[in-house]
Amino acid sequence: MTATTEVLEREAKLQGLGVSRLRKEDARFIRGKGTYVDDIKLPGMLFGAIVRSPYAHARIKSINKAKALAVPGVVAVLVADDLKPVKLDWMPTIGGDVQAVLAGKKVCFQLQEVAMVIARDRYCAADGADAVEVDYEELPAIVDPHKAMAPDAPIIREDIADKTEVGHGPRTHPNHIFTWEAGDKNGVDAAFSNAAVTVREEILNPRVHPCPLETCGCVASFDKVTGQLTVYITSQAPHLVRTVVAMLSGIPESKIRIISGDIGGGFGNKVPIYPGYVIAIVASIVTGVPIKWIESRIDNISTTGFARDYHGIGELAADKDGRIRALRFSALADHGAFNSHVSATKLPAGLFSICTGSYDIPKAYCRVDAVYTNKAPGGVAYRCSLRVTEAVYLIERMIDVLAQKLGIDKAEIRSRNFIKADKFPYTTSLGWTIDSGNYHGALDKVLKAVDYAGLRKEQAEKRAKGELMGIGISTFTEIVGAGPTKVCDILGIGLFDSCDIRVNPTGSAIARLGTMSQGQGHATTYAQIIATELGLSSDEIQIEEGDTDKAPYGAGTWGSRSTPVGGAAAALAARKIRTKAQKIAAHLLEVGEGDLEWEVDRFKVKGNPAQSKTMKEIAMAAHTSNLPPGMEQGLDATEYYDPPNLTYPFGAYVCVVDIDRHTGETKVRRFYALDDCGTRINPMIIEGQIHGGLTEAFAVAFGQAVPFDENGNHLGNSFMDYFLPTAVETPHWETDHTVTPSPHHPIGAKGVAESPHVGGIPCFSNAVVDAFAHLGVTHMDMPHTAYRVWQKCRALGIDRR
Amino acid sequence: MVKKQTVSFKLNGADVDVVVEPRELLIHTLRERLQHTGPHIGCETSHCGACTVDLDGMSVKSCTILTVQCQDAAVLTVEGLEQGGTLHAVQEGFTREHGLQCGYCTPGMITRAYRLLKENPSPSEEDIRYWMAGNLCRCTGYQNIVKAVQYAANKISLARTGT
Amino acid sequence: MKVQIDKRYPQPCSAQIAWGFLQDIEAVAACMPGAKITERVDSAHYKGTVTAKLGPATMSFRGEVEVADVDGNSRSLRLLGKGTDTTGSSGASMNLSAHIEPADSGHCMLVGGCELSVSGKAAAFGGRMMSTLGDQILQQFAENFAKQVGALQTAEGTAAAPASAAAALATPAPALNVLALAWTTVKGWLRGLIFKKAT
Repeated sequence: MTATTEVLEREAKLQGLGVSRLRKEDARFIRGKGTYVDDIKLPGMLFGAIVRSPYAHARIKSINKAKALAVPGVVAVLVADDLKPVKLDWMPTIGGDVQAVLAGKKVCFQLQEVAMVIARDRYCAADGADAVEVDYEELPAIVDPHKAMAPDAPIIREDIADKTEVGHGPRTHPNHIFTWEAGDKNGVDAAFSNAAVTVREEILNPRVHPCPLETCGCVASFDKVTGQLTVYITSQAPHLVRTVVAMLSGIPESKIRIISGDIGGGFGNKVPIYPGYVIAIVASIVTGVPIKWIESRIDNISTTGFARDYHGIGELAADKDGRIRALRFSALADHGAFNSHVSATKLPAGLFSICTGSYDIPKAYCRVDAVYTNKAPGGVAYRCSLRVTEAVYLIERMIDVLAQKLGIDKAEIRSRNFIKADKFPYTTSLGWTIDSGNYHGALDKVLKAVDYAGLRKEQAEKRAKGELMGIGISTFTEIVGAGPTKVCDILGIGLFDSCDIRVNPTGSAIARLGTMSQGQGHATTYAQIIATELGLSSDEIQIEEGDTDKAPYGAGTWGSRSTPVGGAAAALAARKIRTKAQKIAAHLLEVGEGDLEWEVDRFKVKGNPAQSKTMKEIAMAAHTSNLPPGMEQGLDATEYYDPPNLTYPFGAYVCVVDIDRHTGETKVRRFYALDDCGTRINPMIIEGQIHGGLTEAFAVAFGQAVPFDENGNHLGNSFMDYFLPTAVETPHWETDHTVTPSPHHPIGAKGVAESPHVGGIPCFSNAVVDAFAHLGVTHMDMPHTAYRVWQKCRALGIDRR
Repeated sequence: MVKKQTVSFKLNGADVDVVVEPRELLIHTLRERLQHTGPHIGCETSHCGACTVDLDGMSVKSCTILTVQCQDAAVLTVEGLEQGGTLHAVQEGFTREHGLQCGYCTPGMITRAYRLLKENPSPSEEDIRYWMAGNLCRCTGYQNIVKAVQYAANKISLARTGT
Repeated sequence: MKVQIDKRYPQPCSAQIAWGFLQDIEAVAACMPGAKITERVDSAHYKGTVTAKLGPATMSFRGEVEVADVDGNSRSLRLLGKGTDTTGSSGASMNLSAHIEPADSGHCMLVGGCELSVSGKAAAFGGRMMSTLGDQILQQFAENFAKQVGALQTAEGTAAAPASAAAALATPAPALNVLALAWTTVKGWLRGLIFKKAT
């Protein structure tokens, strides 16, 4: 056996970085032995059911609990007045606003929480909820965000009517939340007036909902004897929940334990703190027993964090050869009745200013005006990377619009505008420094793989026969990994993350992190990172997240931040251990530290390779007396990682669609997705994330919407109407990759899970519009349901045989 | 006061007795009275399939079955698939082919795939997608789930032919 | 979810009798399937309930009715109704204008215009059927109304009839059965398709 083979074998045994190893967490899930919040049963536990308003905007005249309290099995009914003495009828949101926990004087969105019935089981609780009598006086509702700031518009938020700002700058109207802008407005306006060509489109990102398969819920358990509060919860950010609950309840944070166990999908829906959690906590404090609250699917779609609802205007100014000179994007953002979505204090519109995309655009300006409406609160959710879905949708649509205006091929125009590979790190005109990229390389690889020229030829032939075929391109740059604490904080808490690793004497390890998996495979991927750094098998590295009593402080998992921030913390903590291990190895081998080199799983003496110590041997030694003088025992380390920058994964996607002009039905013939997320930790897991993100993008592009009537009634808040693709209509996905590491990340990795969603949505939309481009269509709003596409066919007069 | 009924049936081969109101759904009985939290609740309109169990040789959504309908029935959940420490081929397929991420739809998917392969031991990809259309997943995009079922079909057929 | 319904229903009685009946709110309510006046607050304000069955499920609305703009010259009035269902998950409001137009002797026309607005679960899940169901409900109402006023017209004509007229008045309309109505709606729609009848 040669030396190299032996090394490769040792490396393979580690099942470390880069290996498509099977997942460690699967064992419990395939046996139905996961621990999701609704699986939690505690002695004496009661069940809470929320009474909700049927009206979108109404005053509450009275609430009568008597009939509910008389229902067998009902123990208590909580209303706002019961929360007032503990000042929990209102709570601060992570968006810098306040939100009603239980509506007191009025309700501001349909199905807003009005009371909670506590009963011995969920059936009694439901019976009790039906028996609570609430008298409402209906008020006119604002459903169209364009009407929110009309001079005679009804005031939604009477509780802050006299406040001139709600956390993000001056308000100009009681229904105005904030206006945020970035860039050089004057320079951009000048560039537009001088431009050879300009294009403008109104582009809607409809309100949609992430719909994880598990709804939100918690089991709150307050121990009256010890004063300890334990909350099992579906939260993507357990530490943030703990800190906010401490602030709200007055219970010392050291006596609060938040436990996120297994979570059945998050997708951003499980970041905000919902009234249901707070009421359950209060109910537990009041009754002294555990209280379980699990929401229904209708509640989930109707009241928890929705996504998007951005009414955008995109404008580009360019030369006649398609080189973009200036970008001017604006959006009217419908936040619902409370500003509750996750956003860094300084970035209330998230990372929207990434809207210059993968392109070298010299001048740019963007602006977001956020308003209140009588709809559920939210906005940032659904694999959006903090408004990056909205930003990338705008730029990828607009560059197609520009291409059509100038008659330039849609791949060619992108190529002309790409930031060149030798320009990184590249600082955009809106201030983001993109760490690395290779946009030409990615696009060229994809165009070759799908035979782009052949597809365009086929399209021309089909058009001549009156058939609709569309080719969609999306070359996106993502921005993830929030983030440097100077720029990124939530309620003041910086968005660093952490990893705490302990190696035990027999050479296995436990690592705990401040992130929180909801299916991303952290138990496997973090173990792989640490395995390669420490030379221990990933089989023997246990990963724990989610229990705030055990895990070091972190901001959780959302916006694809686990790999960029948590993964960096894991690698650096492991390197701290290896530094100490090297000292121990030198001591054991009686050489200087500089005489050692690291090889896979051991330190070898340079020039005398037979002399070596494996990490396992060092781990044992670290717990004995045989250590360098003055060195403490133990082999562990903690790293709190404050990232120097965000990371910028990117990709090139091509989608081919065939549209039946008689029915409007779109068939996705082919979807080719190339992703570059830098160093790839586990290709199998990455591929799974791409499949999932693309399927959610498919859902958004082709069928999802949360519509309302003029009174604020939900018109599609159950699975009878809300489109979740099944295995039948979900297309087949082809995945590919390039690797352009991040120069500032310890292992060069960027994160990837939201890229397919961010890049997929405009790719599908571009394909549909491209199918009609030869008929003069420049834009069509989502969702591209068969009915809506058929309406376009009808308007063009091509729907008849 | 609604009169409760005693219902006796077999759950994963073992005899069980429960005392329930007629309106109690099988999914709640399984999860809360019988400590079988494998089947999950994902909706209230019978769409998502996370609650899928096998009832007298048929896939059913246990959120749409009243427990009182189960007198003398044979109910199989995901917990009953592993026998003597050996995973069922479908369970093995799901982990080998990365057919799960958050795991929430997985018990329903596995239980449904189990029944699919009993009825159709060599399904095409189209068959699999059609048969599994009653089980929603948000994480995987279904592609690896199809591969998982194909893996299981292959393994079962190899075992049958003794190869 | 708002629906506007405007209908004309011929009545087998004189305008005077119809107008007299129209002002008897409790009697009029009794013509609405499933409806009942439970309390008379004063001459212009009433409390009442409407019960609708959908298969095994029953929806019970409770609310208030206000009688406004009563004008004997034009024989017109307005009814404003507002209520929530007893589980609190739906709300409804109604703004109904009705007047009587005389036709030839012994006949007249009940003319009604109604704006019906529904919120909550009823809107989310029943919204699509509202307009056609509203038509069917009003059709039943008009038939009951006609029966009542027809009896009154006959009673006026024959002295022996008051007892039967009173008996007829005392019978409340049967409960509103939504599934039966829905079936009637679907049958009507199918018939319309097959026979291409203009509506």
